[in-house]
Amino acid sequence: MKALYNYIKNIVIGIYQLMQGMYISMLNMLRPKVTEQYPENRGKKQYGEWFRAMLVMPHDVENHHRCTACGICMNSCPNGTIKVESNMIKDETTGKDKRVLNRYLYDLGSCTFCALCTQNCPFHAIEWSNDFENTVFNCQKLVLKLNKEGSSLMVKKTENKE
Amino acid sequence: MKEPIEKIAELYNAETTENGGRYELTLAKENIHDAAAYLKREYGYDFLLEMVGMDYGDTLGVIYYLSQSTNPAPLLVLKTSTEKSDYPELYSVCDLWDSAEFYEREVYDFFGIMFINHPDMRRIFLRSDWNGYPLRKDYDANPELNPIPHRNEFLVDMERVPSITMSMGKEIETTRSLFDHDEYIVNFGPQHPAMHGVLHLRVSLDGEVVKSVDPNFGYIHRGVEKLCERYTYPQILHLTDRLDYLSGTINRHAFCLCCEKALGLEVPERAVYIRTIFDELTRIASHLLGWGSMCMDMGSITAFIYGMRDREKIMDIFEETAGGRLMANYSVIGGVANDIHPNFVKRVKEFIPYMRKMMKEHHLFFTGNPIARGRMDGIGYLSKEKAISIGATGPGGRASGWRNDIRKIEPYAVYDKVDFEEVIRADGLTFDRYVIRLDEIEQSLRIIEQLIDRIPEGAFLNKPKGVVKLPAGEYFQRVENARGQFCVHITSKGDAKPYRVKFRSPCLTLVSALKEVAPTHKIADLIMLGASFDYVIPCIDR
Amino acid sequence: MQQMISLQDLTLWIDEFLRNLFGGTWALLIEFVLIGLALLVAYAVLALFLIYAERKICAFFQCRIGPNRVGIWGIFQSTADMIKILLKELIRINRADHFLFRIASFIVIIGSICTFAALPFAKGIQVLDFNIGVFYILAISSLGVVGILMAGWSSNSKYTMIGAMRSGAQLLSYELSCGLSLLAVVVLAGTMQVSQIVEQQSDLWFIFKGHIPACIAFVTYLIAGHAETNRGPFDLPEAESELTAGYHTEYSGIQFGFFYLAEYLNMFIIAAIAATMFLGGWMPLHIPGWESFNKVMDYIPSFVWFFGKTGFCIFLALWVRWSFPRLRIDQLLNLEWKILMPICLINLLLMSVAVIF
Repeated sequence: MKALYNYIKNIVIGIYQLMQGMYISMLNMLRPKVTEQYPENRGKKQYGEWFRAMLVMPHDVENHHRCTACGICMNSCPNGTIKVESNMIKDETTGKDKRVLNRYLYDLGSCTFCALCTQNCPFHAIEWSNDFENTVFNCQKLVLKLNKEGSSLMVKKTENKE
Repeated sequence: MKEPIEKIAELYNAETTENGGRYELTLAKENIHDAAAYLKREYGYDFLLEMVGMDYGDTLGVIYYLSQSTNPAPLLVLKTSTEKSDYPELYSVCDLWDSAEFYEREVYDFFGIMFINHPDMRRIFLRSDWNGYPLRKDYDANPELNPIPHRNEFLVDMERVPSITMSMGKEIETTRSLFDHDEYIVNFGPQHPAMHGVLHLRVSLDGEVVKSVDPNFGYIHRGVEKLCERYTYPQILHLTDRLDYLSGTINRHAFCLCCEKALGLEVPERAVYIRTIFDELTRIASHLLGWGSMCMDMGSITAFIYGMRDREKIMDIFEETAGGRLMANYSVIGGVANDIHPNFVKRVKEFIPYMRKMMKEHHLFFTGNPIARGRMDGIGYLSKEKAISIGATGPGGRASGWRNDIRKIEPYAVYDKVDFEEVIRADGLTFDRYVIRLDEIEQSLRIIEQLIDRIPEGAFLNKPKGVVKLPAGEYFQRVENARGQFCVHITSKGDAKPYRVKFRSPCLTLVSALKEVAPTHKIADLIMLGASFDYVIPCIDR
Repeated sequence: MQQMISLQDLTLWIDEFLRNLFGGTWALLIEFVLIGLALLVAYAVLALFLIYAERKICAFFQCRIGPNRVGIWGIFQSTADMIKILLKELIRINRADHFLFRIASFIVIIGSICTFAALPFAKGIQVLDFNIGVFYILAISSLGVVGILMAGWSSNSKYTMIGAMRSGAQLLSYELSCGLSLLAVVVLAGTMQVSQIVEQQSDLWFIFKGHIPACIAFVTYLIAGHAETNRGPFDLPEAESELTAGYHTEYSGIQFGFFYLAEYLNMFIIAAIAATMFLGGWMPLHIPGWESFNKVMDYIPSFVWFFGKTGFCIFLALWVRWSFPRLRIDQLLNLEWKILMPICLINLLLMSVAVIF
């Protein structure tokens, strides 16, 4: 008799517990949905402002950047993602040889976003942007030139202001 | 602690040195097995934490990290070495500790040291037709020697397993076959919905019942340890996130701690608090995913999505402060990469009550479910002794009643200042391994709750001056990641690049626990058991 | 009852028209073809709708939105999927038993369509209606297991083999509870003819008429029927976390599509039988004594009642499916042989007692 009682009790308890689970799933059905509607929510969703999506080199309005082509970022990068191509140009005022940035190449395809370059840059010449929509059809297009055409090094004055 | 060392030194003629509070015994290769057996028998060294293969230049060696389950804090280090030849040999210790089976295969794979009396001397990560032993310093990395193969690895069911045994003072090379001729063998993986990555299990079945399991690793082996030898210390950091990607922050913390200890660098209090909070958030995220994927492996996809939904909140917090979601890249040597975001404290405080509410729902939804209970109760018993011998640290071992939480054993960061419990369950069944994760989430929430208001003001980073060069020596640090004890061993020769880096993967031993537990259970249980140990394959493969 | 819109007038009119035009034999032949076409179209359309509905409801249970790209709210998603399935290559499996491999999917879908034909969709719309209707439904719906076993056996794959064997064990066991719980209704109705069973519920549905035994039979039928359809938590034959896709792992293209269609339609069929047997089929809700209420109910078309009730049963099935984990094979058999079977037998006894007294 006890066995029968236990048998029925177990069935009833089991059904009750199953109903609890169904209650939770129904509760979640009635809740607002959590998924993001990606192309529609462009501009509406707030991404973390420090999110590392892509390396950029900020330029000011006069097309000046802060990169002195010292190559620290290139050396600190574990994957050879950054390539700094520079020219030696004779400075007219001092007469010394001076390194000037020619091309700052950044291979998005091999970047692991470890941020060693931005952490090690002494001049804050590069930083991370939130722009994560970097899909291209060809992996050659992932190699980006970060310095804009015709840009030059920012003059000392702005650096002192910092 | 002193006694076993003196005894071993006397009995087996060992050299004793002290390094950072740990005693190291250097033994001749003939004595290593006997000394280890003596330590295990007389002094209860029943847990082999780690085996590090080493190339000392002119000799090859192995470093054994031993510990007692009764007194887990002090580690005893055994060292031995063998001549560098084409066929270096050492005596296997896998009859003493089950964890040594995979460790020795790993050492063989990378250094070519054959272990006498080891039952299964196959390569563990690399293909069986690989030329050379990659972590030897004289390894020829010429791609012509190991071209990219266009054929599958020769893996047949009737594979012969080589091993070397000693008999009458003579070495006998034998092979045995892994499976019998008429066994029904099913391949689970490397591409399989329930393998959590690319693990390959060859399962011998008797109807629905599993007879034996043979795991194959290495499908995403990236040679992290070899890469580390070519990277500077800050560069290595970005690889640590990619070992066990679900507890990447904690792994990174371990490597930072190891370097900071070696450099004698003072880490700002603020950074230590932030790191601890991040570690615990990572643990919650990892356990949520572990819970979810375990439920999914039992067929409840909805639970998986609920777990992912809650995990997403943590990922958003990470994204805001650390700038990365899965690869947070947050800890650096000397502190953290940047200060916390102004919203961080607010969002974490919002998260704690949310998570508590959701935990109640998760328990109602899945823990109480009679189908789930019926599947988990009484299944997959792992005894405490076996868990220790296998080295199944973390929640997997704690479910068997083994106290192995590094946060309690040797508190790092601010774990000694917070009040939390090490969740222990006695039974060692699947249900214990399941529920222990949910309980650990509660404890992690408790830790975060205590710390979040106490983050001190001040600097967040004490940057080491110049290029980071660890002084010559060997350094070791272990932390508790979401899956168990994650250990970092660094051998430095004083350069900017390490001489040898070894990461202890907690997941490798969890797979051997699966191998131990799975036989006599059904296929459905095999999948669920795998999920209950919650291994992450990139952590195994490194 | 009399005011109820009947589709019988329409079908009779078509019949008369054809007879006048072609004469008896030809009219019959054309009617067969027309009915066959109508069934197949209804089958396909329902399957597409069910796939869409399942994906949407499943998404809602999981805090998601579900398909929302193809058409507004993604309503053409399943159509697009079906086109994709039609365009896919039929892969020829090495060392498979090709004859069995090919016909397996047809057997599964034939079993399902034959059952589909016996359902009373609305007043006057029922293709097959003969005096052993319930028996026919039970017999023909278990044909599918033959196809599943064939598929699993002939694929030359270990996963499909295990899946098929599980399926065999599962369907054989659950057929029992399925039949026994329907038997309770047959005892109550005193007939096996589906149309008469529906007619008998004109004053009150069987689930109310039959007291507790009918309620128990309803629940056991839903559980057993759910298991018959191989859907979670009883989806062991295709348990995707263990056997990737179970018995249809090796199928591709439209052959896979047949299994897929049959799976969804079986869900519909089980729900429709439950609705017909216990919830009155197309019969509106009538409560004895409430004449004006009954009249209002009659104005709702009969097919709305049928599909409404079926939809309710399908929702229950989906709710269960997306809430529970999968059973293990021994739990599954325990549930049938130790819990459902005894309950069904006792319930049948109770029902007989209730009918006699």
